[in-house]
Amino acid sequence: MSDTTHDAAHHEGGEHEHPKYLAHHFDTPVQQFDAAKLGMWAFLAQELLFFSGLFVAYGIFRSWYPEVFSAASHQLNRIMGAANTIVLLFSSFTAAMAVRSAQMARPGNAEDKRKTSIFLLLTIVCAFTFLIVKYFEYEHKFHLGLLPGKWFGTPRDMLSFDPIAAGAHGAHALPQLPQKAHLFYSIYFVMTAIHGIHVLVGIGVFIWLWLRNERGEFSKEYFTAIDLAALYWHLVDLIWIYLFPLLYLID
Amino acid sequence: MSEHANDDYHVHSHISSVKFYLGIFATLIACTILTVALSYVHLGPLNLAVAVVIASLKAALVVMFFMHLKYDRTFNALIFVITLMFIGVFFAYTINDTGHRGQLDSAQGTMRDVATGKDAPGGFTPLTMPAGTHAAPGDTKKVEGAHH
Repeated sequence: MSDTTHDAAHHEGGEHEHPKYLAHHFDTPVQQFDAAKLGMWAFLAQELLFFSGLFVAYGIFRSWYPEVFSAASHQLNRIMGAANTIVLLFSSFTAAMAVRSAQMARPGNAEDKRKTSIFLLLTIVCAFTFLIVKYFEYEHKFHLGLLPGKWFGTPRDMLSFDPIAAGAHGAHALPQLPQKAHLFYSIYFVMTAIHGIHVLVGIGVFIWLWLRNERGEFSKEYFTAIDLAALYWHLVDLIWIYLFPLLYLID
Repeated sequence: MSEHANDDYHVHSHISSVKFYLGIFATLIACTILTVALSYVHLGPLNLAVAVVIASLKAALVVMFFMHLKYDRTFNALIFVITLMFIGVFFAYTINDTGHRGQLDSAQGTMRDVATGKDAPGGFTPLTMPAGTHAAPGDTKKVEGAHH
């Protein structure tokens, strides 16, 4: 029924022989898959190097002002951070399960397709949960005035970024913190916000994958896009695995 | 380890079992609980080392098994490991450099290493001169053994 059952011995090389998902500049699906994987790992390497700049900045400032980082870190909610860590770890699990489900899906089988969709949706739900928890964490800091750089010490309303008058409802007293605490919060907001943008992009990618899966584009014959997107998602999880102890668990 | 059997045409990737994935997930959760628990124990500089070690263990599990790097082409693993090495170089050289800079001694206008009290190499011209003295052009204080 489908072109995909051809093996190399019968392959004529004519364009009409190629399976639908095989691009014409590749000879075999294996070659295409290997090239896609290699490209993805090269991209992930870039992402690691990209974040390493921020991590080194963190390392420099923490080594220069250890007591500032310690005091400022104690303002962060460890339970919310740990909860977000578990949410992301679970989303990594569901992403890996989505890939597995696609790898085993029989072409045209509705039940197999449904399983893949469920795991894709679970991953998306976890990602949204992560961002919602992050929103509440940010809002708390805005109200206290724990803000990056020049805004530090000025309590604000997060959605409008308006200053909150001292003593007015919603504003709490700024906690006692060392002189250079704004440095920690600059690092905190930049690193978690850029990570958060990566989570948002991941949500978009997984919604796109879910739509494509619903159209029946993925099966054991072709699951590359899900594999690559899951790799991206695991990287997002990896970065948070390091962000959490370095930002939240400073002694 | 080749992930492709005799067939050079169709893609055959290693597929882990559900139980295996659940086991990895459970280990990751356990490590998370462990690292949070240890953060409440005061170990001094060891806190950072322990946290990074546990995080690296979690990262290794995610990379090797969730990302299938253990079962993938070795070249992809090479890309990943070499990237980590470059990041290591980035960290080591930068932290070493920034950790050995002195502080500006604003009274003298020079960089002074706080720990040893030595002046930075290259010399300096004092900003303020005592009354009645007169600095010769190009007059610089000789600094002894201040090469770090």
